[in-house]
Amino acid sequence: MAMGSIGDTLWDVVICGTGLQQSLLALSLSRSGKNILHIDPNDYYGGAEAAFSLQEAESWVDRLATEDKGLFRSASITKPDVVGLSFPRAYSLALAPQLIHARSELLSQLVSSRAYRQVEFLAVGSFYIFKAPVGPEQQPSLVRIPSTREDVFSTTAISAKAKRGLMKFLRFVLDYDSPEQRDAWKPFADKPLVDFLQEHFKMDTELKTYIITLTLSLDGRITTEDGLFIVHRHLTSMGHFGPGFAALYPKWGGISEIAQVACRAGAVGGAVYMLGAGIKSMETATDEIELELTSGDKVKTKLLVRGDESVGDEPSISRLVAVVDSPLKTLFESTVDGAPTPCVAVVALPPGSLTTPGEANTDPVYVFAHSSGTGECPNGQSVLYLSTMVTPNSKEILSRSLESLLSAVDPDRVPQCLYQLYYEQAAGVKQSRLDGLILDLPGPSLSLLMDDASLNHVREAWKKVVGGAVDDAEYMVFTDREPVDDDDYE
Amino acid sequence: MADTNAPKPSSSVKLVLLGEAAVGKSSLVLRFVNNDFQENKEPTIGAAFLTQKCNLPTRTIKFEIWDTAGQERFASLAPMYYRNAQAALVVYDLTKPTSLIKAKHWVAELQRQASPGIVIALVGNKLDLTSDSAGSAEASGGGDDNAEDSGDARKISTDEAKAYAEEEGLLFFETSAKTGHNVTEVFTAIANAIPETSLKSARGPGASHAGVSRTEEQRVNLNGPRDLDAKEGCAC
Repeated sequence: MAMGSIGDTLWDVVICGTGLQQSLLALSLSRSGKNILHIDPNDYYGGAEAAFSLQEAESWVDRLATEDKGLFRSASITKPDVVGLSFPRAYSLALAPQLIHARSELLSQLVSSRAYRQVEFLAVGSFYIFKAPVGPEQQPSLVRIPSTREDVFSTTAISAKAKRGLMKFLRFVLDYDSPEQRDAWKPFADKPLVDFLQEHFKMDTELKTYIITLTLSLDGRITTEDGLFIVHRHLTSMGHFGPGFAALYPKWGGISEIAQVACRAGAVGGAVYMLGAGIKSMETATDEIELELTSGDKVKTKLLVRGDESVGDEPSISRLVAVVDSPLKTLFESTVDGAPTPCVAVVALPPGSLTTPGEANTDPVYVFAHSSGTGECPNGQSVLYLSTMVTPNSKEILSRSLESLLSAVDPDRVPQCLYQLYYEQAAGVKQSRLDGLILDLPGPSLSLLMDDASLNHVREAWKKVVGGAVDDAEYMVFTDREPVDDDDYE
Repeated sequence: MADTNAPKPSSSVKLVLLGEAAVGKSSLVLRFVNNDFQENKEPTIGAAFLTQKCNLPTRTIKFEIWDTAGQERFASLAPMYYRNAQAALVVYDLTKPTSLIKAKHWVAELQRQASPGIVIALVGNKLDLTSDSAGSAEASGGGDDNAEDSGDARKISTDEAKAYAEEEGLLFFETSAKTGHNVTEVFTAIANAIPETSLKSARGPGASHAGVSRTEEQRVNLNGPRDLDAKEGCAC
């Protein structure tokens, strides 16, 4: 580590940005002996995956209003005129909450790199479908999706015939990549999964909704190949780290927490960290780049790794973060003996299910409900994260979805909303790009599920920095730096 | 380090280190944890955290001591560093006035970022460089070699720092990581100052009626069921 001026060192790599990918790169290089300067133009960690206190959220919204670039737009904060909001730092609102399947490659890397020890993982509990009221006297309701065989047997929500259909599908998915099953779905590989479910399993709308909800597909049109992969991963993740849950969520703000832990591992390995320092200008020579930072420092590096912040081809999404004054207890009940109390629940509002005055939703709306166990809000409150595809009225759709959901959770005492943060996020580019000494990692994913594909770009960047013949088997495999003492009796 | 007495309730306490570079933060920890001291120690890299137990008459406190890993240099410590810290050691070098100014900044930062109930100890290190000590003129850690010839390099009076500490409600000690003077006392004082009610994740005897935090049953263990069984077996 250079304790002198940062301008005196010829850095092996300057990493700009502390989003998930750049932070994982820092983690992967933390034992490489490379000279690493890790900067971020923001004064917080996590980039597009950051978690904000209410105060930070406010300055973020203010800043977006003045600078018209990047992936975020149309951000606004609404505080209804009700009491109950706690102090700003009691909240940690995630900009891009993602669920992580227990069998995700990300978790394997966090375990093999030992970084997982500093992250508190929480269980994601039930997935629910929102049901519009049937008659004028009726209330909307939530139906829990059965997602294991035991669940399917015991549920009373679906008919015996539907149960048989669902069981047949679950058996198929568990084995979907075997040669004999592949013949069945390959012709549908690039077609929507709903079409395959219809053609091959003759599923009714309800069952199709169950399956699509498990994929968290934002437009509901996920391809058969991608969809089967996700449902398979969901089913095989169930029970992997304990009974009753298939996915996890890091406490205190999700991916943001992983970024911070990865950056800390980078620092412990000797990397120098500077927040509030972006790249003002650069000059490229044959084998080094000179960067002028917004902090005024001038630094030289052999390689620059950034995150691509340009807008990609795929559609944008609308997001609404709402703090409500209720623990929403019924959403977070564990359904299996010995299961950890879940802190996250998922509710899907299928297309057309929004029946309050106004247009119905044409795309699904997904809601992640987070209990105070996530550390994102004080006791007695919850945070709801709503996402849907951007349409001319998606903001209004999200706001009506929130109202409908709250009245479905507790019709007797409809929880009140204390705070709302709305914004739209454009999709980034999906490929990394190497141009001389500059490597741009892809933009942040809009997916509501951690997408392992993005991890490959980090691994490629690691290879580029480490250089020479590197062994993939050594990637992210570290021993604990300190003796581990899980046991209080020595 | 086997404790042959009947096991007492044991709790983990996260303690964060703060202070200007080269004031002797890591040296204090090294003295506390290993009863060791290294002259001209290199700036700290490679240590994420160290643990050390502190035995009190009625309970055992297990300190989990988080080092800054050099991230104090550009004030780039992440929220996860401060979060849930129940104690902080803010260190200055009592031969270096700027280091107390810096320490005051860190106290303000803790008051802004950390949990409201955090126990903060202000520690003036390198007491061995002053005439109060038995007179060694070598630096007491942190790699600062600017020892003065007079035998008293003190630039910050005890009264000044103490008055500030009292004003802010901080514990206050002057230490020498080099001689070990007052080092254990700092940690014992912190351990005593941590309110019983804020102790979480208590395990072992007493844990069952100490109201184990709900976080324990929510947390998922990525070590897998094997380790989980071992832990349960141990706590029986």
